[in-house]
Amino acid sequence: MPSAEPADGPGAMAPSSPSHPGRPQPPARDSTWTQCCAGAVDTLPILTGIVPFALVLGAQASRVGLTPAEVPLLTGLNFAGGAEFAALSLWTLPPHVLAIVAVTLLVNSRMLVMGAALAPFLRHQPKRKVLPSLFLMTDASWALSMAHARRRAQAGAAHPFSLPYYLGSSLLLYVAWIGFTATGALLGPVLGPAHDYGLDMAFPAVFLVMLRGLWRGWRHARPWLAGLAAAALTYWHMGGGAWHVVAGALAGMATAFLLAPRPGKAGR
Amino acid sequence: MIDPANLLAIAAMATATYLCRIGGYVLLRNRSLGPRAMAVMEAAPGCVLLSVIAPAFVSDDPADLGALALTILAATRLPLLATVLVGVGSAALLRHAFG
Repeated sequence: MPSAEPADGPGAMAPSSPSHPGRPQPPARDSTWTQCCAGAVDTLPILTGIVPFALVLGAQASRVGLTPAEVPLLTGLNFAGGAEFAALSLWTLPPHVLAIVAVTLLVNSRMLVMGAALAPFLRHQPKRKVLPSLFLMTDASWALSMAHARRRAQAGAAHPFSLPYYLGSSLLLYVAWIGFTATGALLGPVLGPAHDYGLDMAFPAVFLVMLRGLWRGWRHARPWLAGLAAAALTYWHMGGGAWHVVAGALAGMATAFLLAPRPGKAGR
Repeated sequence: MIDPANLLAIAAMATATYLCRIGGYVLLRNRSLGPRAMAVMEAAPGCVLLSVIAPAFVSDDPADLGALALTILAATRLPLLATVLVGVGSAALLRHAFG
């Protein structure tokens, strides 16, 4: 799930870590439970961004026809907010499974990079522990755990990445995500027709804030703008359906490919 | 309560997401990506997010376009909840004012 409060990076959370008051302590002495709690406590500020995001998502899901039983099933099994928002905007009855899977893969492709970055830290852990743990990986818990690992590495820990810390953070996010998306699904129908109240604008609002979290300057935004132009033109010509998402994503990724430094040439 | 077609879509989606979560660890842990693959991977989420909301950019209702402009402005400086309130509030107000 993308961090809904991108303005507060993991660095902003760092000083609140209760297991590191002032001077670094020997991390190896921290019990599993202490580390788990530290992960959860460091995640609390992020929840202020996650909770409204989850409520809006749940309400949106009920609006496109998912029942209050289906919403926690979706958010509990998938547990990736960005992909869920994107999929719901394409959701029809019955849903286009291929379009939804394609958009999910595209939105979540960043997880490949995140997982690859974790891999060196997890070498000493058995796969039977790592693979289930990765089910809970989110932008927020990943970023917090990597920051935590950097601090422990500076303190001289042999295995700086703390699986308990990561699980404490991830599990809190997981419970909150399911609980508040389900709550949003129950509240959604009470709110009435979306368009009259401008509720359909919640989607662009959430996405634009997520984009701010991904923002790395205009230079890196060029593929985004190409994708936006292609998607807008496609929608203009073809109307509803999901084709504009496919066209925009492909145009944007092709632009990123063409703008990137070529292999074999140093820099640009 | 649970529609089979929805269940199928949810299960397919969950599988796709889990493959993304473990894929980096399983496939990429012993190698590094080239600069072009890296650039495409980094650009993909933003491209998808913007593509999904692209219809809002080509709305034929001036009230919608005005609300979108205010929402973009809000998104650059406000937290999530405040941005959602600005977006929803401005869309509701402008639609009533011009509708």
